[in-house]
Amino acid sequence: MPDINTLIEVALIIVKVIVVSLILFTLPIPLTWIERKVAGHIQVRLGPFRVGPHGILQPVADMIKLMFKEDIAPDKADKWLFKFAPLFAMVPAFAVYAAIPFGDKITIPIINKEVTLYISDMNVGILYILAVGGISVYGIILGGWASNSKYALLGGIRSSAQMISYEIALTFSCIGVVMTSNSLSLLDIVKLQSGTILGFIPHWNIICQPIGFAIFFIAALAEINRIPFDLPEDEGSLAAGYHVEYSAMKFSFFMLTEYLAMVTASVLTVILFFGGWNAPLFMPEIPIFWFVAKVGFFIYLFMWIRFTLPRYRYDQLMTIGWKILLPLSLLNILLTGLFLL
Amino acid sequence: MGKLHLNTLTGNRQTFFVAANLSAFFKSPMNWQTTDRMQNMTNILKKIFFIDFIKGLSLTLGYEVSKSVTMRYPDEEKWLPYQRFRGLHTLNRDAQGRELCVACELCAKTCPTKCITVVPMEDDTGIGISDRIAKVYEINLVRCMFCGLCEDACPTTAIRMGRDYELACFSLDCAAADKKRLLAPAHPFPFQEGIQKSPLLGGDKGVGQEFEGGYVVGARLERNKQGISIKPDLTRKKRWW
Amino acid sequence: MEKLFFLIFAVIAIVSAIGVVSLRNPVHSAISLMVCFLQVAALFILLRSPFLAAVQVFIYVGAVVVLFLFAVMVLDLGKERFGGYLHHQRPIALVVVIGFVFVMGFTILHGSLDAPLGNYTEEALVKNTEIMGKLLFTKYVFPFEVVSFLLLIALIGAIVLAMKEKR
Repeated sequence: MPDINTLIEVALIIVKVIVVSLILFTLPIPLTWIERKVAGHIQVRLGPFRVGPHGILQPVADMIKLMFKEDIAPDKADKWLFKFAPLFAMVPAFAVYAAIPFGDKITIPIINKEVTLYISDMNVGILYILAVGGISVYGIILGGWASNSKYALLGGIRSSAQMISYEIALTFSCIGVVMTSNSLSLLDIVKLQSGTILGFIPHWNIICQPIGFAIFFIAALAEINRIPFDLPEDEGSLAAGYHVEYSAMKFSFFMLTEYLAMVTASVLTVILFFGGWNAPLFMPEIPIFWFVAKVGFFIYLFMWIRFTLPRYRYDQLMTIGWKILLPLSLLNILLTGLFLL
Repeated sequence: MGKLHLNTLTGNRQTFFVAANLSAFFKSPMNWQTTDRMQNMTNILKKIFFIDFIKGLSLTLGYEVSKSVTMRYPDEEKWLPYQRFRGLHTLNRDAQGRELCVACELCAKTCPTKCITVVPMEDDTGIGISDRIAKVYEINLVRCMFCGLCEDACPTTAIRMGRDYELACFSLDCAAADKKRLLAPAHPFPFQEGIQKSPLLGGDKGVGQEFEGGYVVGARLERNKQGISIKPDLTRKKRWW
Repeated sequence: MEKLFFLIFAVIAIVSAIGVVSLRNPVHSAISLMVCFLQVAALFILLRSPFLAAVQVFIYVGAVVVLFLFAVMVLDLGKERFGGYLHHQRPIALVVVIGFVFVMGFTILHGSLDAPLGNYTEEALVKNTEIMGKLLFTKYVFPFEVVSFLLLIALIGAIVLAMKEKR
């Protein structure tokens, strides 16, 4: 029989997992509203306005609609894969958060217990995240293939090629950060970004790794299939791409995955390049707050970019990935190595 | 000009560029190669610092914080057209409340879509201004293209186009406007020579002829037994631009 | 507890490995291959080498099987049957497999496959990645370089083949 402290630790981990999953499950609900509002205002419209004040209940209405819609599976689809593809996409999106730290430690006031704000501190954290994040492409490929529709298949093929191409640049851009912080653990990476250089510049990796950041950001945009790299669901040429045959809850799972991927990309950008939960310049340290604020900014930036840039052509996408980002990321590793020596 | 023409004819863009560069060389004191190189340098710098990207982002940010142009029709606002607007027709009366229409059928004749049906009838009870009135006066609103030729053809200024544009409805029986619907309410109105338009907008919307229009006014959606109507509120008016 | 997890992962790994060779549809085979690789990654974690597990997921699950799927989907192998390629190898294969199982079972049961434990303590194993990196670039630097050179040759070879196709 394990002693009471271990039991409390285990219970704490379970509670943390449940809390994080619940937050992740509900996060896309406000995000859809925010995205539509951003879209509306950038296009000088109002966005959703009729359900609730300023349309705030619109995502709830959408959710009800998605739940009660008829779940259609194409006649010649691969029935099992068609059903499981959304899960293949969704599970990695959640699993990534097992290794993501949201803050260091906080002490809960009443019971005076120290709680760490991460589920686990893996010593291969960043590698784990990149690896698991790479799995989520299966949902897209299998969903596209199982639908037995040419648009969906093309979407799946495009996304698999795109993901593989950009994963390399993404990983290589992370290596620069790993080299400077000398650790694969995200916790260590964030801890090393506290403090300032010369007393007035925050010691964030964006200062030491600007090229790495640019590559990481562009590759992350491609990895999470957002404009300007949303070729897998290119409305212009593929109707809706890989999820064209999906409806109701299965479709909403794909949507959920996409929003979670966007949150993950923002979180990773913040952790790797923007100092995680470290407060910017002489601001007071508030647990979680700065982290959420920075992540919120990057989520907004992703939406902002979506309604600013047009979509790339497929050959341009490949050219950017292989001929520009990959050599640049190698150069970045070389420069970082020379700098460290 | 002739040179340019020649270039476009041969389709040789290279020679055209060389010519442009040469002319730049002769015009400016600087060597054309240097300007070219500087151009390249600025292009590369632009790419390194994502200048165009940031320009685009700032443009969209500007639009994001600007005021939206959406008109929240029908809940809060509606557009009230100018007096010259050609909406639903009205059949008018004179100061004594007599029908101006003499059923001459000129409007039906001139109508390019043949959507007006007029059946004349003799009447000496004083409903109309003469002893001939319209027994049936019907406009097929589905076919009408609101060109306003009927208005021009009418010798007695009986038919005029109003400002009501909310003609959508739930069944086809409202697609044809009969005499009852077109006839303006029988109360005296200041009908003068100069005023060419109907005295009331859409018959019952409460917007008089004197209202100049061209505003976004407040509105209220009302549902009742008769259907849905949007009541304008003239006290809250603004130009939309 | 660890044994239970090991059994779960091992059984799933074997079942999915059988699935790879026995399933009719190539896409299904590729998926079972992915499942198999994932279980192997889990086994690596049980062996306290998270780095290997992450790399296994990263390279095999995240890239190799995706490429398989890509090829299968593009070439549309769904309708092909592989029976024609077997050329009556079944009896021979059966004999070989039975022999292999027999030898494996024999050695495992007699405990002559005792691999020596590494000379690392639990605390040192936390720094697993660091140890591996250091070993790769000091003690095993020659094999490491040979392997990378081989991979480079393969890469260039692939490019050359693709170029020829174009012409």
